[in-house]
Amino acid sequence: MPVDDNSSTVSGDASVSSTGNQNLPLKSTVKKKRNLPGMPDPDAEVIALSPTTLLATNRFVCEICNKGFQRDQNLQLHRRGHNLPWKLRQRSSKEVKKRVYVCPEPTCVHHDPSRALGDLTGIKKHFCRKHGEKKWKCDKCSKKYAVQSDWKAHSKICGTREYKCDCGTVFSRRDSFITHRAFCDALAVESAKTQTNPSSESDPKVQAADSSPRRSPPAASPPVSAPSAITSSDIRIQSSVLAEDPSTVVEEAPAPAPAPSAPPAGLNGSSSSSVSLVSSGCNSSSSSVFSNLFTSTTVSTSIHPPQPLAPALPLVGLNGSCSGSVSLVSSGASSSSSSGVFASLFASSTVSASIQPPQTPALTNLIRADLAPSTSIEPISLCLSTSHGSSIFGTTGQERRQHAPPLQPAMSATALLQKAAQMGAAASNASLLRGLGVVSSSAPQENLQWGQAQVDPDNASIAAGLGLGLPCDGSSGLKELMMGTPVFGPKQTTLDFLGLGVAAGGNPNASLSALITSIGSGFDATTAAASVRGGDYTSKDIGRSS
Amino acid sequence: MKTEVRGNGGSISLQNPSLFNIPLDPITGALKGCLGSLDGACIEKLLLHCASALENNDVTLAQQVMWVLNNVASTVGDTNQRLTAWFLRALISRASRVCPTSMNFNGGSMFQRRLMTVTELVGYVDLIPWHRFGFCASNGAIFKAVEGYGKVHILDFSITQCMQWPTLIDALAKRPEGPPSLRITVPSCRPQVPPLLNVSKEEVGHRLANFAKFRDVPFEFHVKDDDPCLSNETFSTQFESLLTQLTRSQLDLRYDEALVINCQNWLRYLSDESKGNTTTVRDAFLDVIKGLNPRIIVVVDEDCDLSASSLSSRITTCFNYLWIPFDALATFLPKDSRQRLEYESDIGHKIENIVGFEGFQRTERLESGVKLSQRMNDAGFVSLPFCEDTINEVKSLLDEHASGWGMKREEDMLVLTWKGHNSVFATAWTELED
Repeated sequence: MPVDDNSSTVSGDASVSSTGNQNLPLKSTVKKKRNLPGMPDPDAEVIALSPTTLLATNRFVCEICNKGFQRDQNLQLHRRGHNLPWKLRQRSSKEVKKRVYVCPEPTCVHHDPSRALGDLTGIKKHFCRKHGEKKWKCDKCSKKYAVQSDWKAHSKICGTREYKCDCGTVFSRRDSFITHRAFCDALAVESAKTQTNPSSESDPKVQAADSSPRRSPPAASPPVSAPSAITSSDIRIQSSVLAEDPSTVVEEAPAPAPAPSAPPAGLNGSSSSSVSLVSSGCNSSSSSVFSNLFTSTTVSTSIHPPQPLAPALPLVGLNGSCSGSVSLVSSGASSSSSSGVFASLFASSTVSASIQPPQTPALTNLIRADLAPSTSIEPISLCLSTSHGSSIFGTTGQERRQHAPPLQPAMSATALLQKAAQMGAAASNASLLRGLGVVSSSAPQENLQWGQAQVDPDNASIAAGLGLGLPCDGSSGLKELMMGTPVFGPKQTTLDFLGLGVAAGGNPNASLSALITSIGSGFDATTAAASVRGGDYTSKDIGRSS
Repeated sequence: MKTEVRGNGGSISLQNPSLFNIPLDPITGALKGCLGSLDGACIEKLLLHCASALENNDVTLAQQVMWVLNNVASTVGDTNQRLTAWFLRALISRASRVCPTSMNFNGGSMFQRRLMTVTELVGYVDLIPWHRFGFCASNGAIFKAVEGYGKVHILDFSITQCMQWPTLIDALAKRPEGPPSLRITVPSCRPQVPPLLNVSKEEVGHRLANFAKFRDVPFEFHVKDDDPCLSNETFSTQFESLLTQLTRSQLDLRYDEALVINCQNWLRYLSDESKGNTTTVRDAFLDVIKGLNPRIIVVVDEDCDLSASSLSSRITTCFNYLWIPFDALATFLPKDSRQRLEYESDIGHKIENIVGFEGFQRTERLESGVKLSQRMNDAGFVSLPFCEDTINEVKSLLDEHASGWGMKREEDMLVLTWKGHNSVFATAWTELED
């Protein structure tokens, strides 16, 4: 028998709170006066039940066989079956005091006896609603309920107070319904039907089936101006984006009603021809992220979550327009996922459907010249973070961070940093160059690439690149060496700088290792050696530097 | 084991020196302080480092940072990952301008233009209360201001393609004294920003007219054409020309009309750079509309300052602000929701402009509500408070959305908040009586 809380009565009578098998009030023939909720009859007997008791489903227990019932009436019916002698059959006829119940939750306002509730079922429901777990969920909307009867009541009305457009869409909010209704095709059709004088209205022209250009229904009663300039500029933008996709989206697109369905169909037909996604053997996840970066803006009904590039190419252009310009080239070694980055950078900035990245000499020069300063590992001003310091990365920023859940990238932060640093200069040079198509071969060894690039340069372009006057940080000598062929010409340079008889165009390996040697002798060994060390470097090459 | 290495900038502690024979690895330095997981603060730092690397022509560092960011970024990940993806893309767009190719001389965006149908746009503006908040507040103020007038003329300068008006038409239709006759005029030029429709403005106006007729509201719709010779020009050029046509006669203003000027996400596209001693386009616009003696001017825009000349400060502010709509969408749309991706992509478009472009191409020059209010005051306008009815309407609107949305009042300005952060402001103005 569970122990119950001590009860206190307003009237001063001691009363023991009951569990199931004690005397229960008779059904009173006097109509009960209904008190205001929360303000009980002062003469009433206050009962405090524990949560367990309160929520117990079978409160009425037969004293003979201990069978539990949810309702008193059911218990009485059951007791009849025991063939009790007449005396025990009847309940006590004593006038029973009205009972009121308090909520067991101490923080609740109804915990106070002066705010007790008069109805046992009421207090049960109150306790569940306010302090209980919401186990009942509406399947139409997302509302949850703790009391089953509440849930049932809600389910009856859920979805009934709704706004339904003629087109079939249902809204729960009036303003969205109104806005939709105003622009809905169904309204256009309906108003067309109600037209008595078609010639004076343009509505017939707006019928769903009609695919005439909506630009200017001339007989429109609202005076609309001639086709505005802006529309054509819209088209122009798309056509500049559209490389070769002839099925244009814009002006001649089908009329409103078929619009939702037609473009996607047209999409899939046209876009597949103009989408070019080349992925040969590149499995790095970074590339797939980028492909999705570029695809996700062209949203269509068939957007796919990121997947490895190798299988299906999920690119579908939108409205047949822009897919033509998405060309993601990630070829070559998968060892450097960074290749995807810049390859795609320069590839997709081309607005044509061409797969080949541009190979203009000017660009090459720029890149090469750019590479020069970067190969010397210059400490980027770390003061960037400190100067902004607390003002920007301060509490506000931190506070906002808490709202967003912490990231779980595939690699940990430390691993990412390490890998990024490993990639270092050598990898970046090679991949950039490769991405530009400057280096024709796709040898897996990035250092070889790099060596090749050095040994077979275009003198004129290098000179021109240097002449561009881009900032070159770091020791200039190192820079020129990295370039491989400073202005003077390859042969001369290598002889002069390396002190070796390595001719231009010689064995790439040899020239590279020679380069390393010279670097090692002439400059800070650690810096230079580390800077050329790619992830694929074998240690013995390094070891030669002294 | 740790190694302390001193370099030019400061000390960096390396965790695994065998891998880091490079004494001064910028990446490690950049992420100093980011332990373990890459959270929003770290991403912000990375973005800033990448931007500064690009500005210094340090391609290697830029690429390294981009590589790290690339591993973090995901358009279908959590809020931070998605934001990172769009920021990274904007930075790449910027980088591609550092190394221009023969194909993007025109500085074209890397983003594709997405066109919506009208019904799609309707759903779009109601996805989150971002736009609907402004609509509701503005329409409430307009309704109040035109009480007693039999004719109303609205000059609508906005980017949401008249999505605001059906609810106003509906409210006017139910006026006890009967609806006024309503005229709406829109300019023909519009910034090339999302949301973009696959139909013309005339078609939109046509549908509005249908609806107004359906509700028995006398209605007219005009597109104010500008010079067709300028159709190839940028928006700002077109608009400057349009400014000259905003006169009483050319707009056909009538004496017994209540003139309403509606500026929704608009002022930010008007240039705020003064060429020499001339007033800026933005201020010139305000002067022009003041000269038209409007009954009320409503200005709604996003509450953030994104027009700084420093790239780093723009990146930081932008990252910390656009987190808000991303987070709001994440609250109730699943990861792979197409609508969510579309919405985010449109925001990404904005990010690209703010971060990836400079000069006249950087058309997004948003200023905060406080600054805008100052500007309006300087131009000779006085603010009008929103009445209680309007405020209650806005509150009940927000109640119907997810529970993070709130509203607060800053003087006469109403501000939409998400989890307490300011997102959109709405203000109403009228001329200062001399």
